[in-house]
Amino acid sequence: MDSSVHLDHVMMKFDDFVAVQQTDLKIESGEFFSFLGPSGCGKTTLLNIISGFIEPTEGTVHIGGQDMRRVPANKRPTSMIFQNLALFPLMTVAENIEFGLEVRGVRKAERRKVSERLLNLVALPECRDKRISDLSGGQKQRIAIARALAVEPRVLLLDEPLSALDLKLRQHMRTELKDIQRKTGITFIYITHDQGEALTMSDRVAVMSAGKLQQVADPMTLYRAPATPFVASFVGENNRIEGKVVAIDGTQVTLDCGDLGRLSGHTQDSLNLGDSALLFIRPELLTRRTSMSDNCFMAQIRELNFEGAYLMIEATPLKSQQRLRIQLLSDLNLDDVATGNLIIFGFAAEDAMIMSGARDV
Amino acid sequence: MFKQLSERFGPWVSIGIFLLMFLWLVMLVILPQILMIDYSLRPNLPPSQIGGPDDQYTLKNYATLANNAIHQSIFFKTIWSSVLVTFCTLLLCYPLAYYLAKVATPRQAALCVLLLIIPFWINEILRTFSWFIILSYRGPLNALLLSLGFIDRPIRFLSGDGGVIVGMVYAYILFMIFPLYNAIESLDSNQIKAARNLGSGWIRTHYRIIIPHAKPGIATGCIMVFMLSAGSYAVPALLGSPGSRWFTQIIYNWFFEGGDWNQGAAYAFILLLLCIGFIVLMMRLFKVGLGDIAR
Repeated sequence: MDSSVHLDHVMMKFDDFVAVQQTDLKIESGEFFSFLGPSGCGKTTLLNIISGFIEPTEGTVHIGGQDMRRVPANKRPTSMIFQNLALFPLMTVAENIEFGLEVRGVRKAERRKVSERLLNLVALPECRDKRISDLSGGQKQRIAIARALAVEPRVLLLDEPLSALDLKLRQHMRTELKDIQRKTGITFIYITHDQGEALTMSDRVAVMSAGKLQQVADPMTLYRAPATPFVASFVGENNRIEGKVVAIDGTQVTLDCGDLGRLSGHTQDSLNLGDSALLFIRPELLTRRTSMSDNCFMAQIRELNFEGAYLMIEATPLKSQQRLRIQLLSDLNLDDVATGNLIIFGFAAEDAMIMSGARDV
Repeated sequence: MFKQLSERFGPWVSIGIFLLMFLWLVMLVILPQILMIDYSLRPNLPPSQIGGPDDQYTLKNYATLANNAIHQSIFFKTIWSSVLVTFCTLLLCYPLAYYLAKVATPRQAALCVLLLIIPFWINEILRTFSWFIILSYRGPLNALLLSLGFIDRPIRFLSGDGGVIVGMVYAYILFMIFPLYNAIESLDSNQIKAARNLGSGWIRTHYRIIIPHAKPGIATGCIMVFMLSAGSYAVPALLGSPGSRWFTQIIYNWFFEGGDWNQGAAYAFILLLLCIGFIVLMMRLFKVGLGDIAR
């Protein structure tokens, strides 16, 4: 069954405020797709457009190849898991799960079979006749999933469903959600501001900012080859260094970064000499050097955080105010790495990404 | 409670507060009621015989209703019409309350509430009289319906209970709107969205999600409107016809035209007790507990 979702030049305006800029996007059948962005970036608006709670100002939504214009929310083949779950507190667990089937006029015996199957799927068969208020947070979470799956949606929409859970449960539910998605083959559209969730579960992620899709790619590409300065800083940790272009050699560009000296990296943008540009280098790609050479700078250590397998360092390059983050493996000889010490750090030019400053947001 | 109060305000202020509460409750509520119960249980005697050998407690006044078929029919009509008033008010107010609570923007809601409240700045007699004019045989409503061609000749709106019911629905709208509004407003809007999302149409969403949630508010509104209608005097007196007397009018007549306070008090208590009984019955029927209402 085709359960792809196509956002065909969708645009959403509230009065004068553009909540979602024109977006053209195809989500494949059976894909685990995430929208990742800070709050207010328009991702929830997109979810409401797909589910039919709001009509886009422009453009159309196609689900399974069908035009969803004038198809009301209650007739769409989508099912939503709300941020606060929105389970019905006056109904039992079974009644909650069976509600969507009751609406469709499915007979009682049939409904019972479905709810039993789903309660087994989410591993809560004994909760059938419990009240919602008697469930724990994680149980509620699973019942919400079961309720959404009961109507056999083509597309499951998840609006930050894990944000109310504690860390341990959240990590556990990630695996569980991914597992359910694999078992059911339903298209999952997941909304989150938590990049950990988006990167670990998704087949593809759309990074959004200010109503605009910044990049749509698989998690690995997002991390390794961010397309915009926003994605470079938002996905994973990154050090951002500003400079001016002083040399160009093919895709390799050298910037004059003021107090940090000259630093080189590679770029996909077409840059000219004198342009302002941004250099991004990930904390784990910065390494210690014994002597100054190209792409190196001396920095004073401000803060040390031991995180088990590695050591997170915050350091300020000499004469500069900028704070850089450096991640070192903790099995290295780290005797001289102490707060206040001066250390030389460097990176390989092919590890650093340079983007045009004009594309900064 | 006394301990808490005296810790905060000292013993003297607390004693004062309790004394005032006690005075209010006893002097203004309990004593007058006891006096009326006492009245209702004594025969109506000329002043010279009060306290005499004939002044014995009796249930005779209560028995009067049992032996008077006309009064009985008026009594049941009063209850039935009050139910009708309550039902009509609920029907009218529910969509409005839902709109105010879940659809309207804050500005629209504020405007709407203001428009609802303004008519209540005018006193009840004036408002009821204006309905008298609107509904009268040669009044504006008939003129409008005639000119639009809906009717061939004027309708006597005021000859049956119609005028009384219209007048009461209008008079008690606010007592229904606000409890309903409060109840619906407290419902998480995501519940409505979730029901929609699971395929529920509007009717089912109201019937399965919103109304069950708003049940305590509905009960509160219905009880208030029912009690006010059953005990209303001004509206039936002004908008009613001789054929649509209200039980309160009979009570009034006993007191002020028959001069029989004892009989009037007995009738008033019968009305009160049976209304309470009716409400308890309805609460059982719709599975509403007192705790739900106090929520």
